Amino acid sequence: MGLLTDPSAGQGKLTKALVKYHPKLTVLLYIAGIIWFCLLAYSPLNAGTYFSENALLPGLVTSKFRDDTLAKQYYDELQYEMKKYNNSIPYPWILAKFRQIGLDTYTHNFTLNYPLGRSQKFTGKNVYAILRAARAASTEALVMSVPFRPPSNIHLTTSPSVAIMLAFAKFANKEKYWSKDIIFLITEHEQLGVQAWLEAYHNVACGQEGILEHGDLQGRGGAIQAAINLEFHHINIAKMDIKVEGLNGQLPNLDLFNLATRMCTKEGIPHTFKNRENQKKDDRGRGPYDEWCYSFRTLMAMVASQATGIPNGNHGLFHRFGIQALTLEGFPAKQVRGNHSNFITIGRILEGIFRSLNNLLERFHQSYFFYLLPSSERFISIGLYMPAMCLIAGALFIKACGTWCKLQQNPLSSSDSQDNDDNEDSKTSMKKASGDHSSNDDTQEEENFDIVQIGSIFLLTHTIGIVLMNSPTNITRFGSAYGFNTELSIYIGFIIFSLVLLIAPAFVTIRSSYKSMTVINILSLLELGTTLICLSMYNFSLGFLAGTLYVPLALLIVPSNCRLCSWVQKILWLLAHPLVVLTTTVLIYTFISITGEPFKENMLRGLVATQQAIVFGIVDSMIYSNWLYSVITCVMIPNWLCFWIALFCPSKPKSDDKQVAASKKND
Amino acid sequence: MKAILLLSIIGCINCVDSLSDTFTEELFLKPLYSKQIYAHLHFSTKWDTDYVIESFRHTHLFPRALGEIIERHNVQELHLSLTAGLWRYETWGYPIVDAAPGAELWAWFKPDTQDVDKNWKELASSLSGLICASLNFIDVPNSISPEYSFRPSGVVNQPFVNSSFLRYSALPREIVCIENLTPWKKLLPCESRKGLASLLNSLRIYNTRYHSVAIHLRPVCRDAECELTSLEVQQSVALVYDYGILGTRNWSIRQLFGQGLFGSCPLAKSSTVYVDITSNSSSPFLLIPDPDEYVTSKRGAYTSTFAKYDINGDIDHISATYIGKQNVLINSPPPLHANQYLTGYGQERGGIVIKLYNNHWESLDVVVLQSLPWYVPIYLHTLKIQSNGKQLKPLVLKYIPGKLRKRPYYLELVLRLPPQSTTSISVDFEHVFLKWTEYPPDASHGFYIGSTIISSMLNVARNFTALPQDGLTIADSFNASRSGYLVQVRTEVMVITLPTPDFSMPYNVICLACTVVALAFGPLHNITTKRLILKPQSDEKLLVRIKNKILRVIKGDTNSKSSDDSTAATSEK
Repeated sequence: MGLLTDPSAGQGKLTKALVKYHPKLTVLLYIAGIIWFCLLAYSPLNAGTYFSENALLPGLVTSKFRDDTLAKQYYDELQYEMKKYNNSIPYPWILAKFRQIGLDTYTHNFTLNYPLGRSQKFTGKNVYAILRAARAASTEALVMSVPFRPPSNIHLTTSPSVAIMLAFAKFANKEKYWSKDIIFLITEHEQLGVQAWLEAYHNVACGQEGILEHGDLQGRGGAIQAAINLEFHHINIAKMDIKVEGLNGQLPNLDLFNLATRMCTKEGIPHTFKNRENQKKDDRGRGPYDEWCYSFRTLMAMVASQATGIPNGNHGLFHRFGIQALTLEGFPAKQVRGNHSNFITIGRILEGIFRSLNNLLERFHQSYFFYLLPSSERFISIGLYMPAMCLIAGALFIKACGTWCKLQQNPLSSSDSQDNDDNEDSKTSMKKASGDHSSNDDTQEEENFDIVQIGSIFLLTHTIGIVLMNSPTNITRFGSAYGFNTELSIYIGFIIFSLVLLIAPAFVTIRSSYKSMTVINILSLLELGTTLICLSMYNFSLGFLAGTLYVPLALLIVPSNCRLCSWVQKILWLLAHPLVVLTTTVLIYTFISITGEPFKENMLRGLVATQQAIVFGIVDSMIYSNWLYSVITCVMIPNWLCFWIALFCPSKPKSDDKQVAASKKND
Repeated sequence: MKAILLLSIIGCINCVDSLSDTFTEELFLKPLYSKQIYAHLHFSTKWDTDYVIESFRHTHLFPRALGEIIERHNVQELHLSLTAGLWRYETWGYPIVDAAPGAELWAWFKPDTQDVDKNWKELASSLSGLICASLNFIDVPNSISPEYSFRPSGVVNQPFVNSSFLRYSALPREIVCIENLTPWKKLLPCESRKGLASLLNSLRIYNTRYHSVAIHLRPVCRDAECELTSLEVQQSVALVYDYGILGTRNWSIRQLFGQGLFGSCPLAKSSTVYVDITSNSSSPFLLIPDPDEYVTSKRGAYTSTFAKYDINGDIDHISATYIGKQNVLINSPPPLHANQYLTGYGQERGGIVIKLYNNHWESLDVVVLQSLPWYVPIYLHTLKIQSNGKQLKPLVLKYIPGKLRKRPYYLELVLRLPPQSTTSISVDFEHVFLKWTEYPPDASHGFYIGSTIISSMLNVARNFTALPQDGLTIADSFNASRSGYLVQVRTEVMVITLPTPDFSMPYNVICLACTVVALAFGPLHNITTKRLILKPQSDEKLLVRIKNKILRVIKGDTNSKSSDDSTAATSEK
């Protein structure tokens, strides 16, 4: 509160306290941050969801959709058509249906030049139809999309969504209340199709030039306000999972999510989030701990999927363009009986959602864009979760400050003036001390850190990071020349790269200087802290998980005399290398999900999965500009390397060390 | 008594003079490609009066309210349209009257006008009152004087066209509804009580895919010699009904308008209904009752057939019944159509692309006119014109950069489109910050960019229904072969999101400012109101001090506070 008070007053005390208590304080902060975050899942500590946008008027209209028999008929016809097209969309049938309904129907071609390994080309073709709103000048549009999965696709089928989409299009085309065009989009090749379509719609390339040739569109419908992606796996939907996580952890506006949950509830289809149903209100028998546990697991499921930055549905690619989007994934009941369909309910849900979206006067802007969901009815806003991250990252800053202050204090003076509380006295003693030593102690001057050297180390490590980021194309080219496949060559390439980098500290000339090495440590701490805060602003889950993992390890890095301690530090830090972390995570995941297989086989499977994960990360960054890979190679690995260098810091300069140095100099 | 008689005779002379006007009403119905029907009501009033000296004190059929406005503001020609929806050129062909979505107004002022800008602003405001539209938002910062796209459609007596007497403005955001139609109907001689205008049942005509009301006023030649001029006002309503929304494709007057015909307007010279039955060859329909006459029109190389009904009280109903199954037809797009869209994302930069489709076997000369509001600054160096992958050089390029809050960006291009080509014109712009009071209440809705106008003289009349320049009525467009057919294609309206501040911000700022003031107040108050007293420092340990303090509080010692403060003061010193 001392806003206008003299800043120099009392600083000495504070500094001393910081120097003295900062190790304990950092641990405290870290633990407090983790506990804070964990507590957020407890329902009294988070908030219930609510509508901020009044214009949505959810569920106020009487549903009029009655074309379920038509949808069923479309479904049966589609099943028949799909048998003829094992590997692609049955284009003629879908185009004909859309034209019969009376919509403007178009196709869209795109090409992918696979960036890694031997140059390969893949082509795809999307189909879309535009319902032109009456008395509107095609200024705004809504999108309903379906990722088409041909029978040869390994994923669950989405053909019921195509049937309901057609039936809904037919129903909607007769209505006169639409104020926005509705675009019905059927895409091929999962996310690639949607990405190409969106790039073509906005006429921009999001990833690297020349990889995804997005082609051109014949018809457009103005600014897209919202998109709903449908993945219905069965004609009788028993529960609806709502997926929100998008590219780079972006989320749709909470109002849209609320709208989807509200409409599902209205039509009586249980909705789930992360495939977990909400806890029932009447389930009072469970204690608060069980309740927390359940919410926390849902929350962590969201954090885990958001952290990867990979969209968990086609909706995720819309977010970048300022289009609020989510996926409705419909699952059948456990035991499916007969050939009964509930297309009428699904149609009414869609009608409700689209009529609400049609009511929108402005873009979605009222509600939250940054939130976490411990259940579909409760949310944690950015104001609640950011403090947790600030506490965790704050530990790093406190440590950096503490170390810096310690470094600034003259070791002799501090020992001299230990019992002297007065600042002035300590200053004079410092002067005295320096005066005493100035005659014969040149080492004092030499001990100052070398900013040029430190700067160049940081520059070099980060340049290495950028080189690493751009290396995959060359590595795969090199690898394929020796007959390795893409995955293996990149993995091996990265391992070799990392191993080579491990010997980097050997080339650091200022290795023996305690001060310089400590400054490297301080700067690395600051960089890590800043990175974590920035990351968590954009993709909280990623920032949080990285913080939870790296902060304690980074806090451990303190120069120590004990040889064992320093070895333990080094080994722990080696384990924190992103490549090791990835491999371990994937291996653990493999062992958990696949049980009952021999160890060796699982191990091999896990390794292959790791290699694939890296390649997917690289390709994602090239096509969709998913920046997870770029952040890891450009920031995390250089930062890791800086800490690695800092680990080779000599322990605190002792007086005899100094004397040795001095005597050497004298010699 | 004599005096009164004399007065009435003079009055009669006057009324004879004002009887020199004619009024015609026409309804034109045309089934469009596949699923729509186009209904165009055309009301034309021609008044043989000298436009230059006419004072509009006495009018007969001519709307006096309009006359007064054009007289006061020295208007030579006036064109106004209010439109909801977009005319889909690609599937519907060309309309009789082109109109951009929203409100569109352009006027030519007489060459002796002193201050065109002032007159223009006042004209817009007067018209705004006349037909209850937000035309009062038209002002100099959103008006342009296009040089090539517009020509006077009536007679002029200057050898050259001086576009500085032309003002054009469009309000793409304008929402058109009944409140505009009612005053518009009042301008008609029979209003909506009799004749074809009685068909304009608000409930029905807003069920359409497209509707547009327009007023076009111009001086025309009185006869072929053109020694004298007449004043003509064309009022039209264009409606496109959708069979899907109607629920059936067998249409009838009652189905379209909700009521039958109530005879003709007694003041009208003629009252006719035309049904375009050219499409009868591909999807035949039966008209009931039989038309009075079949009219075959050859325009250019294209022949169309119309069924003509004279409405003289005996016909109150016309209906069409389709015969046979509905065929899915192959659409043959008109020779020239266009659309425009935005490119890019985010709130920093964007682009506009205008795509022109020339489906003709010959190259086409077109004039492209785009006027952008001042808050969409475009960069001319980013202008790229590509036709079928090749660079295309404009024949003429006219560009007037905008000025912040003063003048819109104006770009006019003359292009020669190669035959069978798709040409794209792209230009980049930047998003700008507005002042916070310049945002509309629904700031997140976005800001509108009006449609581009593409004008061209086609040499084929395929899908062409517009009146010839010398024509007054729809009947004049039959067999009206000319050397060229003027089309003015309007594209979509676009909406962009400018960086919009969070309008809850003022509240946040107030909170923050109050907090800062409160925080500053405490120490300031302390410094200014408290005295610093020296007090010897106690060497007591922390725990002992706390203990003492508690003891003092319990004892209720009043001196404790001041002594504590002084401790702080000494240590700070």
